[in-house]
Amino acid sequence: MEDSEKKQLLGLLAEKLNQSVRMYMDNCTRCGACIEACHAYASTGDTRYTAVARAQNIRRLYEKYHSFTGKTAPWLNEAVELDERWMEKVYETAFTCTGCRRCMTYCPFGIDTQQIQVIAKMMLIGADMEPRPLSMKAKGSIAKGEKLEATREKFVKELEKIKPDVIEKWPGKVGDDVIPLDVKGADVLFVSMAEKPSIVPAAAILNAAGENWSLSYFEAVNFGAFLGSPKMTQQIYERIVSEAERLGVKEMVICECGTAYRIMKHVIGKRDFNVITFMQLIDRYLKQGRIKLDKSKIKGRITYHDPCQIARNGGIYEEPRNCLKAMTDDFVEMTPNRQSNWCCGGGGGLVIAAEPEFRLMTSRVKAEQIKATGAKILATACEMCFAQLKDLNDEYELELKVTMVSDLVANALVQ
Amino acid sequence: MADNIWYFVMVPMVYLAVAWCAVGIALRITEVLKAPKLPRTLRIFPEGKGPDDPPVSSLVGAVWDAFTMPSLKRYKPLLWFFLITFHIALFLLVLAHLDLLPQINIMSAESEHMIGNGAVGVVFTVCLLYFLFRRFVGPVREVSVPADYLTLLLLLSIAITGDMISWGNSWSENGFVMTKKDFGAYLDSLIKFTFADPRQFLTGSHLAIAGTHVLLANLFLLVLPFSKIMHVFFAVPLNKLRRG
Repeated sequence: MEDSEKKQLLGLLAEKLNQSVRMYMDNCTRCGACIEACHAYASTGDTRYTAVARAQNIRRLYEKYHSFTGKTAPWLNEAVELDERWMEKVYETAFTCTGCRRCMTYCPFGIDTQQIQVIAKMMLIGADMEPRPLSMKAKGSIAKGEKLEATREKFVKELEKIKPDVIEKWPGKVGDDVIPLDVKGADVLFVSMAEKPSIVPAAAILNAAGENWSLSYFEAVNFGAFLGSPKMTQQIYERIVSEAERLGVKEMVICECGTAYRIMKHVIGKRDFNVITFMQLIDRYLKQGRIKLDKSKIKGRITYHDPCQIARNGGIYEEPRNCLKAMTDDFVEMTPNRQSNWCCGGGGGLVIAAEPEFRLMTSRVKAEQIKATGAKILATACEMCFAQLKDLNDEYELELKVTMVSDLVANALVQ
Repeated sequence: MADNIWYFVMVPMVYLAVAWCAVGIALRITEVLKAPKLPRTLRIFPEGKGPDDPPVSSLVGAVWDAFTMPSLKRYKPLLWFFLITFHIALFLLVLAHLDLLPQINIMSAESEHMIGNGAVGVVFTVCLLYFLFRRFVGPVREVSVPADYLTLLLLLSIAITGDMISWGNSWSENGFVMTKKDFGAYLDSLIKFTFADPRQFLTGSHLAIAGTHVLLANLFLLVLPFSKIMHVFFAVPLNKLRRG
């Protein structure tokens, strides 16, 4: 490794040494309490995929360059020099962490492995070793923000194509504003997923509730966050924040995308609008009687997978359950659930970045957890979890219908 | 020559070790305080609370988490049992050492024993043996580094010499060789900076064991600021980050 590259990568490490990271680096006693917390270890028994082992890849560099013992007696904490071999080791595990933070609930100190893996990911980007699909998607999102005028017409045309589907689900509203855009002073700015068909159930529900809403031009998903790049993360969320501020909306509602919600809720700082998930909005509509659901539409037992980023890391536990219970009397919980739920194995962008064989192999424990419920329908509230759970369903022959909560709600809407 | 070595270990080295430890701890804490804060929450959201509910008494909660380790109780009950026992024993041992001073008399000044009559030290030692042995098996072995073993071995050595003082000290034909009062006189001379020779207070062949115990304790103080034992100071702030 050339000196200039080494200096640049060590600069990235130093840049991330904030108060919390310093405490995380200095205080882990390697007690091993977190070992069984990770779904990847629980599924494979490979110690490389434990929170402590992943963190050690960065901690050993930290020891070498930022601690007294690492400089004077490197063997004590197995401090290592930064070189190509070590970067390969970092690469081996950094993008195997979904950032679910389940390990944080096991650790007696509450060490946040995700924060440590952000350093690993930033260094991999610096070394040009990051997973290409993620960086390409992140760059694509940023480019879309920069060329909004050029892409606007195409976007509107695509919406025209799905309008009949929205009306089919909710015939109560027809006309040009079935999917409204650029509504100044809207009560709700709905930020959807990238795929246009995913807008259909959301639009039907918002129309059924008689909401004064506007659809965002931008997709909610933040590939910069998956990549671990704070700069790209900010560039991507700023597009949506600017739109919300330009329109003067009261509330930004994030579609079923866990990371997008966490970024918008906790990273963007205080703004003039409130940020909520679509699950909270639907739950509110049900409580206010603004939408009604037909309980006969769902056939078979249903279970719910708590997406890590909106549940453990976002506090949204009951709202999706309320929505499901409004549609069925045959709801069953997974064990464990809520804060302790197993990660699906597809979060942190792994659905896009990781080899399918890897993410399916490391999610065996999730498949077993789902199977034990005896459910016929598996609902979730995150698009990454949805994609991963569909793959798990096929791989482990679970014979379930995997669906999003909003899809079920849109299909059960009644006048 | 040996007399000079014991004197150095039991008097000047104690002062050097304590000063080194205090400065080291202060520097390590300053290093963290000087680092920038992350401008967003690292909270894990508890069940039964909404996403906009503020953390309820997060500092109290963090103190509770740090001292009772509920996550370990749930997921690693055996480790939790030994850790809780270890920390209670450690607290009692610190108290017992303070009680040696003539100014503090939790146990009677005439008592031959320290607090716990030697039993606390044995409990402390057993816990350390458990912590050490679990690092030789299973996945914990794979994630352990030399410092983890050496720190435990150092603590174990301190504990065993302490046990020898508590137990072996009484196994002479004439009963106790050194009593609470004798150790108290030595500690009193230390805190009053009299630089008195410890052999004035601690007589006989057991001086070597007491001296070794002090030497190991000095080593412990020297390495503490650069070891994971710094979690003593960071366990609460770390748990506060999780609490929000």
